[in-house]
Amino acid sequence: MSDPTATQDLIKGADDPAASPVAVRDSQRSLWRDTWDILKRRKIFWISLVLLILFLLMAAFPSLFTHKDPEYATLSKSMELPSAEAWFGYDLQGRDVWARTIYGARTSIIVGVLATLATVVLGGLTGVLAAYFGRWIDAVVSRVGEMFLGLPYVLGAIIILGTIAPAQSNPSKFTIMTVVIVVLALLGWPILMRIARSAVIQAKHQDYVQAARALGAGPMRIIFRHLLPNSLAPILVYATITIGSFIGAEATLSLLGIGLRSPVISWGIAIADHKDYLRTGPHAMFFPAGFLSLCVLTFVMLGEAVRDALDPKLR
Amino acid sequence: MTEVLSEQMGRGSHGGALLEVDNLHVEFRTRAGVAKAVNGVTYSVDAGETLAVLGESGSGKSVTAQTIMGILDMPPGKVTGGEIRFRGVDLLKLPEDQRRKIRGEGISMVFQDALSALNPVFPVGWQIAEMFRMHRGTSRAEARKKAVELMDRVRIPAARERVNDFPHQFSGGMRQRIMIAMAIALDPEILIADEPTTALDVTVQAQIMGLLAELQRDSNMGLILITHDLGVVADVADKIAVMYGGRIVENALVHELYKNPAHPYSKGLLESIPRVDHKGQELYAIKGLPPNLLEMPTGCAFHPRCPYRRDNCVTDVPPLYTISGTRGSACHYWREVIDEGER
Amino acid sequence: MGRYAIRRLLQLVPVVLGTTFIINYMVWQLPGDPFAGRCGQRPCPDSYVTAMREQFGLDQPILLQYGNFLKNLLTGNMGTDFNGVSVASQLGDAWPITIRLALMAVAFEAVIGIGAGVLSGLKRGGFLDNVVTISTLFLLSLPIFVTGFLLQWLLGVRLGIITPTVPDEATVVQLIVPALVLASLNMAFTSRLTRTSIVENLRSDYVRTAVAKGLTNRRVVGIHLLRNSLIPVLTFLGTEVGSLMSGAIITEGIFNIHGIGGLLWTAINRQDYTVVVPVATLLVLVYLIANLLVDLLYGVLDPRIRYE
Repeated sequence: MSDPTATQDLIKGADDPAASPVAVRDSQRSLWRDTWDILKRRKIFWISLVLLILFLLMAAFPSLFTHKDPEYATLSKSMELPSAEAWFGYDLQGRDVWARTIYGARTSIIVGVLATLATVVLGGLTGVLAAYFGRWIDAVVSRVGEMFLGLPYVLGAIIILGTIAPAQSNPSKFTIMTVVIVVLALLGWPILMRIARSAVIQAKHQDYVQAARALGAGPMRIIFRHLLPNSLAPILVYATITIGSFIGAEATLSLLGIGLRSPVISWGIAIADHKDYLRTGPHAMFFPAGFLSLCVLTFVMLGEAVRDALDPKLR
Repeated sequence: MTEVLSEQMGRGSHGGALLEVDNLHVEFRTRAGVAKAVNGVTYSVDAGETLAVLGESGSGKSVTAQTIMGILDMPPGKVTGGEIRFRGVDLLKLPEDQRRKIRGEGISMVFQDALSALNPVFPVGWQIAEMFRMHRGTSRAEARKKAVELMDRVRIPAARERVNDFPHQFSGGMRQRIMIAMAIALDPEILIADEPTTALDVTVQAQIMGLLAELQRDSNMGLILITHDLGVVADVADKIAVMYGGRIVENALVHELYKNPAHPYSKGLLESIPRVDHKGQELYAIKGLPPNLLEMPTGCAFHPRCPYRRDNCVTDVPPLYTISGTRGSACHYWREVIDEGER
Repeated sequence: MGRYAIRRLLQLVPVVLGTTFIINYMVWQLPGDPFAGRCGQRPCPDSYVTAMREQFGLDQPILLQYGNFLKNLLTGNMGTDFNGVSVASQLGDAWPITIRLALMAVAFEAVIGIGAGVLSGLKRGGFLDNVVTISTLFLLSLPIFVTGFLLQWLLGVRLGIITPTVPDEATVVQLIVPALVLASLNMAFTSRLTRTSIVENLRSDYVRTAVAKGLTNRRVVGIHLLRNSLIPVLTFLGTEVGSLMSGAIITEGIFNIHGIGGLLWTAINRQDYTVVVPVATLLVLVYLIANLLVDLLYGVLDPRIRYE
């Protein structure tokens, strides 16, 4: 049946530029370019980005926002309501609430970011190793993770902080912050471990990993060059949202009195100090609480925007 | 079917075939533009007949079937022209609740992947019995009995013991039989099988096709078999409609097409089948890619890949030329194609 | 199903042992004086120290001591607070109101959360969907105490609709606002999870099949769609028992409810770890058991899991 002339024509047809029937979609675009294209169109992304920059500025350069000293106390002004002179009024000790709120940003954000970093490193590493090496390493890591997951975070924090670092006399700012960061990381790593583990397990079975193995790549190389970059997306999303929830968690711990304490300045401490003064002076609590909520919202919105942009099912 | 509907659709009173798709046009409005999925498709099936609809992905064969059933998502889909007549009544003009009654009772459909098409959390017997309970108000006990009977009929071993099992507990072939049982439960007049064997092994394929053929003989239902596999078609079908780019490019009786195709695309498809007596030679494939439904080529949709292409192919859309009472070809030069085949 | 249940039970045992061992170790076995800072601002009274030493066998080797700890826990012996009042009896007084609060919270979570999720999932992009998305975003971001204080201040102090604190013999009506606060976070998450699940399942093949079978829309959504979509949601609600307990500590503290949470709240603020540690340990165990029950429930709901 194969007529030589027909075959010739077919070949000719293939070379003909007009014969290219399809504007062949450029399917080589990377995931990140696609994601960016989607992201930049969404309002919520830009709103949260702007807020994020504002908060970061607040944390890095508080003097841009206020000239007052957050530690300076005038007892006679205790619990004064907001006025032209002090936009947020004065707190229990007679300190300027606006100033304390601005300066509080730094601690709260630092604790949130560092705790998240520690969680990502600890959880990410264990998750990747568990997924890559599998078998008994995986079993052990998963069981240990479950044990830590068995502690809902406030309860866990209570137990840990209550047993390890009860009222030590005059601990330094640094010690206080470190303890809180460590506790948050200890309670948060199992979830991140699971995310990293499942992302890596999925990536592990892809062909390009088998190919790399066949070419003789060692485990380290495979993990760092191939598995990690492709598992990054869900980790990144979760980390962003976690920063927000850790900032909230720090405040909750401070509220309970087991988190940060004076002389540290944070939103959580400001709220904790004034929780019993709701009737007479809500302003001292609500302004820091408002900033806290807005900051958490910023990170959560940002994380969600990125996640929606990364999700192939929503395209 | 309800009394009212059956009266409306008096058998044979309209003088046409049981199911007629007439010049159907379906579009999809997407963010990237309008995709013309179905462009003037016409075919028909009568009782006891098997029509095979052949085409690659994107040819519009599944979209047409789903439009017949009325299960297409609209939006983004939209029927922009044509009629679908079932017993003479245009389904597209029926109100939704009447159309719904026809589904399962008048026209039924079997899907490709039974594992995802069956509901994973309900036992298979329950899902089959649902047809009786919902359409006919049958009691639970009676419906269950019928479900077991159906499972027997499609040759599922130990039906009575397995009626409470879940879909994932069956093999692929068994699951497909369950889907078929569900589809023929109410003795529909037309069964549409959308790639029923694509996901199955070759041996199981043959069994399922055999089952479909047998069921059809027993109940005299019309069967529309949608597939891209020429091998499957040859045994079962009476007539074939070949689709490309949302259009029918050729229709014919099965033996007519296999003996001598009248369209370059059909010809290409047949030549792509590996043949034992061509051992050692390079496998043949149609050059090029299927058309982008968002930017269809001008004129004949196949022209970029066609060895018979002339100038007017690029500008003039070929209608379905009538070759005989049973044959048509949408190619300006169908005569040439046939003549060459005869040499 | 039976085999699945037994497997899950067996898996629970090492986790429980491990967790309680860790807790026990941290409480009693860390180097240094285990009683430092446990009794508020002053050192623990000697009577207390001797009593605890004896009860918990603190001078014995680790494993024996751990065994003792377990035994005590299982027999409900949780020691006394530093005033000599039995912790177990305090718990006994406190748990009824907490159970009531928790049940109400779960009811709110389930009804409002699932309801909002289903409605917004079915009409994606609609007005309701946008309202739900934005409000859940807020609820998710606000730490529970912010919601709590806000509502307490707004409804209690400013508008006087409710009493800012809840009396001991609280009626169900008086518990509504605290229950809403307790439920707020999970309610928001549930609604999102439901919405996502519904949107995903709407696209699935079995929904298409159900429509092709000629079933009414109501049946397709109400039976086929919902049954599948709710699986992850119901399991989530179950696993969130833990966060309910954490949230109860704060909620009961804010509204001055004398439940288990309130007990913990006061104890923490007073740094009375003699109460904190046993109660917290108990709550952890409750959480682990609740997780087991949820896993079993999952097995009932999703037949695919049973045969793994």
